[in-house]
Amino acid sequence: MDDALVRAGRALRLVLLIALALLFLIPFYLLVRNGLASERDITSPEWTFFPAELRWGNVRELFGDPSVPFARSLLNSALIAVATTLGTLLLASLAGYGLARIPYRHANKVFYGILGTLLVPAAVTFVPSFVLVSSLGWISTLRGLIVPTLFSAFACFVFRQYFLGFPRELEDAAQVDGLGYWRTYWLVVVPGARPVFAAVGTIVFLGAWNSFLWPLVIGQDRRAWTVQVALSSFTTAQVVRLHELFLAAAVSILPLLLVFLCFQRWIVAGAERSGID
Amino acid sequence: MGSFSRRTLLVAGAGAGLLTACGSNTGREGGGSGPGLSQWYHQYGEAGTERAVQRYAAAFREARVTVQWRPGNYDQQTAAALLTDSGPDVFEVNGPTLDQIQGGQVLDLTELLEGVKDDFSPAVLTPKTYDGRVWGIPQVVDTQLLYYRKSLLGDAGVEPPTTLDALVDAARELTGDKVKGLFLGNDGGAGVLGGTPLYAAGLQLVTDDGKAGFDDPAAARTLGKLHQLYADKSLLLGAPSDWSDPSAFLQGLTAMQWSGLWALPQVRKELGDDFGVLPFPADGGHGRPSVPVGAYGAAVSARSTHQEAAKAYVKWLWVDRTDYQEDFALSYGFHIPARLSLARKATKLRQGPAADVVRFTTDHGYAQPLLWTPASQTAYQDALSRIIRNGASPERELRTVVRKVSAELDRVKNAKKTP
Amino acid sequence: MRRRRALWFWVFVGPFALGLALFTYVPLLWSVGLSFFDAHNTVTPTHFVGLGNYTAMLRDDAFTDSLKTFLVFTAFIVPVTYVFSLSLALMVNRVRRVRAFFRSVFFLPAACSYVVAALIWKMSLFSGVRFGLANTVLGWFGGDPVAWLSTPDPPWYWLVLVTVRLWLQAGFYMILFLAGLQRIDPVLYEAAAVDGARPGWTVLRHITLPQLRATSVAVVLLLVVNAFQAFDEFYNLLSDARGYPPYARPPLVYLYYVALGQGQNLGLGSAGAVILALVVVVVTVGQARWLRLGRTDGDG
Repeated sequence: MDDALVRAGRALRLVLLIALALLFLIPFYLLVRNGLASERDITSPEWTFFPAELRWGNVRELFGDPSVPFARSLLNSALIAVATTLGTLLLASLAGYGLARIPYRHANKVFYGILGTLLVPAAVTFVPSFVLVSSLGWISTLRGLIVPTLFSAFACFVFRQYFLGFPRELEDAAQVDGLGYWRTYWLVVVPGARPVFAAVGTIVFLGAWNSFLWPLVIGQDRRAWTVQVALSSFTTAQVVRLHELFLAAAVSILPLLLVFLCFQRWIVAGAERSGID
Repeated sequence: MGSFSRRTLLVAGAGAGLLTACGSNTGREGGGSGPGLSQWYHQYGEAGTERAVQRYAAAFREARVTVQWRPGNYDQQTAAALLTDSGPDVFEVNGPTLDQIQGGQVLDLTELLEGVKDDFSPAVLTPKTYDGRVWGIPQVVDTQLLYYRKSLLGDAGVEPPTTLDALVDAARELTGDKVKGLFLGNDGGAGVLGGTPLYAAGLQLVTDDGKAGFDDPAAARTLGKLHQLYADKSLLLGAPSDWSDPSAFLQGLTAMQWSGLWALPQVRKELGDDFGVLPFPADGGHGRPSVPVGAYGAAVSARSTHQEAAKAYVKWLWVDRTDYQEDFALSYGFHIPARLSLARKATKLRQGPAADVVRFTTDHGYAQPLLWTPASQTAYQDALSRIIRNGASPERELRTVVRKVSAELDRVKNAKKTP
Repeated sequence: MRRRRALWFWVFVGPFALGLALFTYVPLLWSVGLSFFDAHNTVTPTHFVGLGNYTAMLRDDAFTDSLKTFLVFTAFIVPVTYVFSLSLALMVNRVRRVRAFFRSVFFLPAACSYVVAALIWKMSLFSGVRFGLANTVLGWFGGDPVAWLSTPDPPWYWLVLVTVRLWLQAGFYMILFLAGLQRIDPVLYEAAAVDGARPGWTVLRHITLPQLRATSVAVVLLLVVNAFQAFDEFYNLLSDARGYPPYARPPLVYLYYVALGQGQNLGLGSAGAVILALVVVVVTVGQARWLRLGRTDGDG
C-alpha cells in the first residue's frame, strides 16, 4: 500500500519535472525556430513548429551584414569577458582572503564598507562614473570597458565566506614551514579553492558577457562594440528584421551555454562549500 | 564555406588590432586634413544612410571628420557624452533641448544661416530658436500620418475618415476576426500621438505667451475619444514591430496605421496603389487636421576643442551642400528636405500620396515647442496613457498635467540664460 | 607583529579597496552631492537647493507610486521565487539518474541576458498578435488573442514580467538550495525515519527547512535587493522609443528617464536614487533582523 503510494509519488514527480523542463526549454526552441525561419514563416498566422525549410543562409546573412560588425563584436565580448573574469578573480580573491584570514583591527569596518555597496543600485552612480572614466581618457578603450567593472563586492563577499570555512590546518602547517601570507595564499589556498574560483568565475563571466549599458556608453567607437550592443542595434533600427534578430540572439548565448555546461558542476560544488550563503 | 574561413582570419587579425588600436580612438577618418572632428548620428534604419553620411564626411577638406553611428538610446548617450570632453564635436539631436541650450552645452549657430534663413521650413526652425538665436540646423523634416488600405475600406464601405468621430467609427467597422481597424503603436497611441490630438481640437501644447495650451474642456473631450478606440477593441496592440515600422500594416494585421513618412517607399513597393494617406482628423467646432513635424538638427558641442572647424563643417554640410542634403533626404529613407527650395524641386514629392503629405505638412504641420520639456512630456504622456488604456477621467488627469506643466514652464522661464 | 599583519592585510585587500573607492565610492558620493543641487545637464552644479530635490521627489506621484508598486511587487515575487526554486531543488534532489540533466535545464536560462530573454518574451512568446505562442495556444482553445504587454486591465503584463523573471532566476537559486541540501547530514533523515516520521511535509518542516536556514536567509536577501533594483527586464519589455508606460514602472526606470534620458535632471534623479537606496537599506536590514541573520554564523 505504502509502497504503491511512494511509487505513484515518484512517478508524479518525474512527470512534473519533465513538464517543467519542457516549459523551460521553450524559449530556447523559439530562438532557434525563429532564427532559422524566413520572415514570412515567423509572422504567419498559422503556427508551424518548424519552418518549412531551415534557412541556414540566415547565418551567412548575419555575419555578412555590412552595417553590424557581428563577428568583431563577438570577439570583443570574449576578450572583455575573459579579462574581466581573470581580473575580478585575482582582486576579489586576494581581498576575500585578507578579510577572512589576516587579523587586523579595522577588518570588519572594511568588510562592511565593501558589503554596503551591494545595496546601492549601479544606475545611481552611472553618470558620475561615466564622467570619471571619461576624465581619465578611457572612452572607447579596453581599459575603460574593463577596469571600472573589476571591483565586484559580490565576488569579494563570496570569497571571504568561502575562506572563512577553509580548513585552517593546511595554512597553519604552511605558516610553520615559514611561508608568509603571500606564498601560503598562492601555494596552499588557491590550489585548494578551485571550485569557488570556477563558480565565481562563471558568474562574473556571464555578467561581463551580458552587460549592456556600460559597454554601450563607453564603447563609442563601432570597433569597440560588444555583442550586446550589436544585438541592440538590430532592435533599434526603424525596420526590425525578426529572423536576423533572433539568430543574433541565439548566436550570442551559444558561447555562454558552453561555458555554463562545462562549469556548472563546479558552481554547485563551489556553492556547497562556501556559502554563497 | 571559403568566405567563412577567410573571414575568420580577418576577424583574428582585427582582434589583434583592437588591442593596440583601441587606446587611440582613431575611428574612421575622412579624406581631409586639419583638425579631427567627431560627428554622431543616431542609427537610421534605412540601408545606405550610414555609407552616405560617411561619404559626405570624407568629402570635407578642412577637417578630418570621424562618423559615429550610435545604436540604442541615442538621447541618453549624447546627453551623457556632452558632460565630458570625449563627446562629439558635431552631433545630430532631436532638439537641442531647452536645458541643453540654457545650460550652455551647444553653440549658437545663427551666423551659419545668414542669408538663407528664410529658405528653412519655419515649422522646424522655430523650435530650434531660442532668444532669437538658432541652436541647431534642421537636417530634414520628418512627419507622421495615417496610412489606410483602400481595398479594405472599400470592402467595408467605409470612407476615409476626416473627423475624429469618423475615425473611431471606421476603426470599429474595419475590425474583424483577423484584422484590427487601427494601429497607433503598441501602447495604444500615448507615445506617438503626443500633442497631435490637442492640435486636432484646435488647441496647442504651449501657448505663444508660454502657458499650458490645453487647459480647456475641448482637450478632455478629444482625448476621451481616444479611449473609445481602445474600449471598442479597434486598436492593434502588441505587434512585433512598433508604429515606426510599416510591417503590421503590410502584413495585413491592421487596416489603418499611424506611421512616418519614411515608411512610404516600402508601403508603395508592397501595396502599389492600394493605400492612401490622411492627416490626423479634426475634432470639434474649432478643430483642424493635425500633422506633427519634427527635425533632427545638427548641433555643435560647446566642449568641442575645434569649435570654428565644427561650425564650418556644419555650415558646409547642412547649409551649403544642397546636393548632399537632397541625397540624404530622399535617396535612402524618405524625408522632406528642410530647405523649402529643395522640397519644391524634389520630383519624388510631387506625385501621388507623397504630394498629399507635403500638402498636409504645409497646411497643418505643427512642431513640439521648445518650451515643451522632457519633464512636461513625461507627465502628459503618463496621463494620456491612463486616459486611453485605463479609462481614467480626462478632466482629472489633465488638471494634474496642467499643474505640472505650468510649474515646469515657470522653471525654464526663470532659469538663468546662457551668457 | 601587528604592524606587519596590518601591512599584509593591505597588500591583500588594498588593490581591491582602492578600486572600489575610486569606481564606486567616488561616484556614489558625487551622486549624493548632486542631490543637493539644481543640476540640469551638469555634474558640476553651482546652484545649491538644499533638500529641494528630496521634497520634490517625495511629492512626485509618479515616483511614490512606483515605490509603492515595488513594495507590493517585492512582497509577491520574493515568496514566489523562493517557493518555486526550493521546490525545483527538492524535486531535482530526489531524482537519481537524470539529476544532472534536470539541473542543467533549469539552470541554463541563468546564462541568458535580460536583453535576449525580453526579446523572446516580447516578440515571440507573448507577442500580442495571433502568431505569438501564447496566443496560438489560446487560439486552439477558441480564445481571442490577448495583447499581453499592452493592456493594463486586466494586468496581464505581470504574467509576462513574473514568468520571465522566474525563468531567468529560479535556476540560480535552485543551485543554492541544492548545495544547501547536499550539506544536510543524512543521519538526520535516518533518525527521523526511525522515529516514524512520514517522509514528506513533516520531514520538510522539521528537518529540511531548519537545516536550510542559512541558505534561506541569503536567498531571501538577494531576492529582496534584486526586486527593488529591478530594471533590465522591465525596461526591455515595456519601454519603446517614446518612453515607458505609467504602469509596472520600477523606481529605477523612472529615475532613468528623469536623469539619464534627455531629461538630464541629475540633481532630482540623484535625490530619488538616494531615497531608493535608503528604502532598500531599511527593508533589508529590517528583514535581516527579523530573520535573525546574526545566527547564521553559528549555524553555518
